[in-house]
Amino acid sequence: MRSLMQQPFRTAVLVLVWGWLLFLVLAPNLLVVGASVATRDPVSFISLPLNLDAYRQLFDPLYLEVFLHSLYMAAMTTLVCLLIGYPFAWALSRVPGRRQLLLIFLLIVPFWTNSLVRTYALKLLLATNGLLNSALLGLGWIDEPLKMLYTEGAVVIGLVYLLLPFMILPLYSVFDDLRQELLLASHDLGAGRVATFFHVIVPLTLPGVLAGVMLVLLPAMGLFFVPDILGGSRNLLVGNVIKNQFLDARNWPFGAAASIVLTITMAFLMFAHKLSKQRIGEDGV
Amino acid sequence: MSRWLPRAYLTLVYLLLYVPIGILVLFSFNDSRSGYTWGGLSLRWYQSLFNNNAMVEAMWNSLWLALSAATVSTVIGALTALALHRYRFRGKKMLNGMLFVVMMSPEIVLAISLLALFLLVGIQLGYVSLLLAHVTFCLPFVVITVMARLSGFDERLPEAARDLGASDFTMTRTVLIPVIMPALLAGWLLGFTLSLDDVVVSTFVSGPSYEILPLRIYSMVRVGLKPEVNALGTLLLVFSLVMLMLSQWILSRSKR
Amino acid sequence: MKKLALASLLAVGLTGCSSEEPQVLNLYNWSEYMPQEVLTRFQEETGIEVVYTTYDSNEAMYAKLKLLDDSAAYDLAVPSTYYVSKMRQEGLLMPIDRSKIEGFDKLDPELVNLDIDPDNQYSIPYLWGTTGLAVDNADIEGEPVTAWEDLWQERFEGRVMLTNDMREVFHVGLRVLGYSGNSTNPEEIEAAYEKLSELMPSVRTFNSDAPRVPYLEGETDVGMIWNGEAVMAEETMPSLEYVYPDEGIIAWLDSFVIPKNAKNPEAAHKFISFVLQPEISALISEEIGYATPNLAARDMLPDEVADNRASYPTPEDMENAEFQVDIGDEALQVYAKYWEMLKSGS
Repeated sequence: MRSLMQQPFRTAVLVLVWGWLLFLVLAPNLLVVGASVATRDPVSFISLPLNLDAYRQLFDPLYLEVFLHSLYMAAMTTLVCLLIGYPFAWALSRVPGRRQLLLIFLLIVPFWTNSLVRTYALKLLLATNGLLNSALLGLGWIDEPLKMLYTEGAVVIGLVYLLLPFMILPLYSVFDDLRQELLLASHDLGAGRVATFFHVIVPLTLPGVLAGVMLVLLPAMGLFFVPDILGGSRNLLVGNVIKNQFLDARNWPFGAAASIVLTITMAFLMFAHKLSKQRIGEDGV
Repeated sequence: MSRWLPRAYLTLVYLLLYVPIGILVLFSFNDSRSGYTWGGLSLRWYQSLFNNNAMVEAMWNSLWLALSAATVSTVIGALTALALHRYRFRGKKMLNGMLFVVMMSPEIVLAISLLALFLLVGIQLGYVSLLLAHVTFCLPFVVITVMARLSGFDERLPEAARDLGASDFTMTRTVLIPVIMPALLAGWLLGFTLSLDDVVVSTFVSGPSYEILPLRIYSMVRVGLKPEVNALGTLLLVFSLVMLMLSQWILSRSKR
Repeated sequence: MKKLALASLLAVGLTGCSSEEPQVLNLYNWSEYMPQEVLTRFQEETGIEVVYTTYDSNEAMYAKLKLLDDSAAYDLAVPSTYYVSKMRQEGLLMPIDRSKIEGFDKLDPELVNLDIDPDNQYSIPYLWGTTGLAVDNADIEGEPVTAWEDLWQERFEGRVMLTNDMREVFHVGLRVLGYSGNSTNPEEIEAAYEKLSELMPSVRTFNSDAPRVPYLEGETDVGMIWNGEAVMAEETMPSLEYVYPDEGIIAWLDSFVIPKNAKNPEAAHKFISFVLQPEISALISEEIGYATPNLAARDMLPDEVADNRASYPTPEDMENAEFQVDIGDEALQVYAKYWEMLKSGS
């Protein structure tokens, strides 16, 4: 083992990273855990004695329902983002040199306009007498305006629109690494396009896919203003419930407990998924 | 594969992305106050925007905050990813776990817990508290993006560099950084976007001395979403596009 | 020459130090809820600079002021109705020194000395409004809509809009059943929930961002709306009528309060007096679209604003009107639970 002095860079990096995370992630989250076992207090938000009431309250089937529905919509969003984003990132990575950089910036620029404002713009598009319906009616493709706004579909469209770059950018960064020679080699070795895709491209870009799924799936559960604006406030996400608990109901222990259980559940789901993947992989070899 | 298919696909997705933005730009020139029906062309919203000092100041504050938060989180995030990827140390799982917790925490939980922390240790609410909070919630996005890039990376390169006598720092600078450059760019852009858009966390960790734009926009909807917001969005869009063209132009000149 | 320059530089620096720091008033308010002109004129007149910071809900404002407590940096805030009583009872506010306030006597007697703050010891009314019925007469045939109860009619299936506000929606449910909109009785709240869940199939959307928009979009034809929003919608949609329901309208009032630890209460008092000037109050009401409680200012408003029944109701309109009061923590939990059940549709 080399001493600290011989690895000043490593030491510096580790101190910085650990310091930041311990101070700004661990410490506040300990406060959250503390709040979740406290007693709700109308005057000071939380007070003693400690108890597990908040966790007990979570067993209400209502919250399970909200969680499952939320997970379902987040999963749909992730799937749509992946279907749009994967070929997009691929095509993007094959654009030559400086043009590629320009296209990436062009991709992200719309996202610098406030997301609430963009969600409203989307609403103008989807409304019953909105632009899309007018266009479709004008073209004679439909006879009656479609009811698109305030549906589950509208929420998913909104979530996809807000989260798409979070899928594309990590995918782009792995596609960029995918060397053209590899594909040619695969082709030379007699693999067809389909075989090359499944046996070469997919495995090589899998880290990017997983990163993209994480970056879309997890935030999608919390973007509370999308169901508020596009779902008519009727397709609640977990984010809505927790926000309401903190602000409207002022039940901090419950909100904190819900947040902790949500984190653990999602961590468990991802972990289980990873395990099953690994097992399949081992069997295959 | 033929060349036109990817191009057509790229064009289509860009079109879809820009349609809502186009609507926004169009309505920023709408004379009607309701911001919903068309009332003729007008520049009145731009005029009233420029008379709104607080709004313009908030815009600059926001841009500066997003720039610094994206940069700091890219540096720390990249170092975190490199540490996770290359070093062996105790508590790796815990480090991963903490990043996951940040991603998963509902904004309101992050907001209140960070505010409580800042109050406990006596950090003044303002630019510094905003920066600390923004960097923290941008961090996992950078780390995950960079990790994805690193996981496909040929491990023999850094070893070769070290065998040739390069120090850890030199090796990182000359071998690793160039390799993860696309991921750094992607991570920086994600961080900038997230920071520019955050409302809930900023509501709680900002003080009167430093107000940022999303807060103004969010509470503005209470009195009806004013068309000024569209004008603002348009300006921001034009600003970004001009900066983009400028950088392209400079790059192309410097190459020649 | 150099020395001279240095000396003059020093002199400038010294006078810079000796002259008083420009005074600052930290105003914590809803966004776009105070015209820029008012802030500019206040600064011209008094030399006090107003730093305008915004929040987007009473809940967020309350939580922040409460958490900040000692380090609170705000001199003036504008909570709605019952948040005044809540904050007052929890000792978050500083009493207002009436001797430093000019123009209090011009305020509408109906809007001072309310239950939320007896004798206005801690709050001065700023703007007020109501939540009532919106009816799109272009799309609705048959019997006119006159009461909250009419929303339950079958003909409105899929065409109703409610505000995305727990207290307001339950207020409607409770009033339809003949209870107080401020009920704390769990049985009454449950009954209201049952009643409201019958309405749910008709409800197309909840909206508290800009409640006029679903009507303008053609998504909904009848339901709840704030009066200021109704006034704004009239401009583009004359068929949208603001109706005062028989069961009684929901009234609310936004008031100035001074947080307990304000750094510059002097300036806060000055600002309140400044706003209470009839001319300034009239300017605000005209610009923001909500009603001013200042009777002298009402006389100065143009006729089309002052005679608009949506903004300025007649005494008959305000019959059965009810201000929301703080319902306490126990009842709040009951409401919150039923609210989530209502919205998730189980």
